[in-house]
Amino acid sequence: MILQALMNGLIAGTMIGLGAIGITLTYSILRFANFAHGELISWGAYAALGVSSALATAYAPLATPIGPFSFGWSLPIGLLASMVLTGLLALLVDVLLFGRLRARKSAVIILVMAGFGAALTLRSLLEFLVTSKPAYFTNALQIAVKLAPGLRATPDQLLSLAVSAILVLAVHLLLSHTAIGRAMRAVSENQQLAALAGVDVRQTIRIVWLLGAALAAVAGVMAGLLVQIRPHMGHDLLLPLFAAAILGGIGSVPGAMLGGLIVGLTEALAVQFIGAEWRAAVAFVILVAVLLLRPQGLFGRPA
Amino acid sequence: MNADAALSTRGLVAGYERDLPVVRGVDFAVQPGELVVVLGPNGAGKSTFVKAIAGIVPVFGGSVALGSDDITCLPAHEKIARGLAFVPQTENIFSTLTIFENLELAADILPRPLRRERIASVEAIFPDLAKRPNLRAGQLSGGQRQMLAVARALIVNPRVLILDEPSAGLSPRIVAEVFANLAAINRSGVTIILVEQNVKAALAIAHRGVVLVEGVLRHEGPAATLAHDPIIAELYLGIAPPAKAEA
Repeated sequence: MILQALMNGLIAGTMIGLGAIGITLTYSILRFANFAHGELISWGAYAALGVSSALATAYAPLATPIGPFSFGWSLPIGLLASMVLTGLLALLVDVLLFGRLRARKSAVIILVMAGFGAALTLRSLLEFLVTSKPAYFTNALQIAVKLAPGLRATPDQLLSLAVSAILVLAVHLLLSHTAIGRAMRAVSENQQLAALAGVDVRQTIRIVWLLGAALAAVAGVMAGLLVQIRPHMGHDLLLPLFAAAILGGIGSVPGAMLGGLIVGLTEALAVQFIGAEWRAAVAFVILVAVLLLRPQGLFGRPA
Repeated sequence: MNADAALSTRGLVAGYERDLPVVRGVDFAVQPGELVVVLGPNGAGKSTFVKAIAGIVPVFGGSVALGSDDITCLPAHEKIARGLAFVPQTENIFSTLTIFENLELAADILPRPLRRERIASVEAIFPDLAKRPNLRAGQLSGGQRQMLAVARALIVNPRVLILDEPSAGLSPRIVAEVFANLAAINRSGVTIILVEQNVKAALAIAHRGVVLVEGVLRHEGPAATLAHDPIIAELYLGIAPPAKAEA
């Protein structure tokens, strides 16, 4: 039982971790907590659903399940399209809202409030467009594979774990070994000095939005694939996302993923040993504990 | 615009508030290969003047030219791509990046084949930096940070290098080392504009000096002359120049 709880926590944790990476990147570079980030998860899931459904309708073989998985090629293609579309949505919100506030040198609290407004608008718009009825990428029933005594996982779940691990590694390598990664870290530390070092700060900010939103879209698709798609799915993940980002240390990609895993595992163990009704409280307790005991998180620098 | 100058300003008005400019109509030029020191008492607008040239303080009027190109409205990152490098007084390195990453970041705007070559040439000027490339820059001492900041600025092989008080907070021994390096960099052909409070040390390596007072260029002359000019003593020490003997 405990092994299964750990597996469930691991899977939930990777979804949280992917979303938290976007939050930690935007927080460290734009210096505000973007509460609209959760909505990018929902929009990403629906964008992938829309594209994959359209593809499957246009060309039925694309809906045929790939190997042991529950979905056909229409979903991976839909995911790629969704990453781009969600990135463009994030850029649009930045151009229309956050960018204008930055240009006016608005206070952080104004940006945070604007994030709340953007979240509400995006969520309401999505609910208006797709209704609040849950949707699914596939209706196929998957049988969980026995991995060890008392431990089972579906091929979709195992694929989600692998995809998350690859993405975290890819983002970590991007940040540590490429010019754009160096630029992002430089902008995170000192925007003015970064500009003096030749970094195009505005372009770097655009790339951060694209990257964070694309990862949110992946988290949304994973959540939709493993559970269901709902307009509120991103909003419901917001507290665990922030708990993970702050636990990992703002600005740290591996920290965000580790934070996500810790939050996911703790939630799963709470469900197992305390009761499902306490699940939502876990992220809140972790968030408060980190802020009180180690505000810089596991991998962050003291202020 | 002075087309022969490496860098020039004409009627430059700049500051943080349009109604209250700090720099008020400065005409200034530095010739290729020159090392010019910008002097003036605290609050004279020296730092604001060079920050406006570098593109990090708003310009409200006048113009800045690099050679014959008007660069007044260019953002800072485009100015460095054109050969204008600026080293701020404080927070002039990325402390979370390693020494090598600081240099790599500056080299990223160069064509790929040139990057390693430029980093190697700068490391040749500052061999201490090459000894510990993977050390976090935040762990460096004040003098080493200043060296890294200058090295980072030199990576793009700038036509003009501007430094804002590079001696601030450094011990006399390190100041001498920093100034010796700046003199050597200038001898290699880099035009330098140096804002400095350490008047004696700065004038010792400069060709020329200009004096800003309350945002206006009040006085200028060869460094050797300025070093003994009574106006410098007046501005920095509050000693009035001796009155001329009446006929």
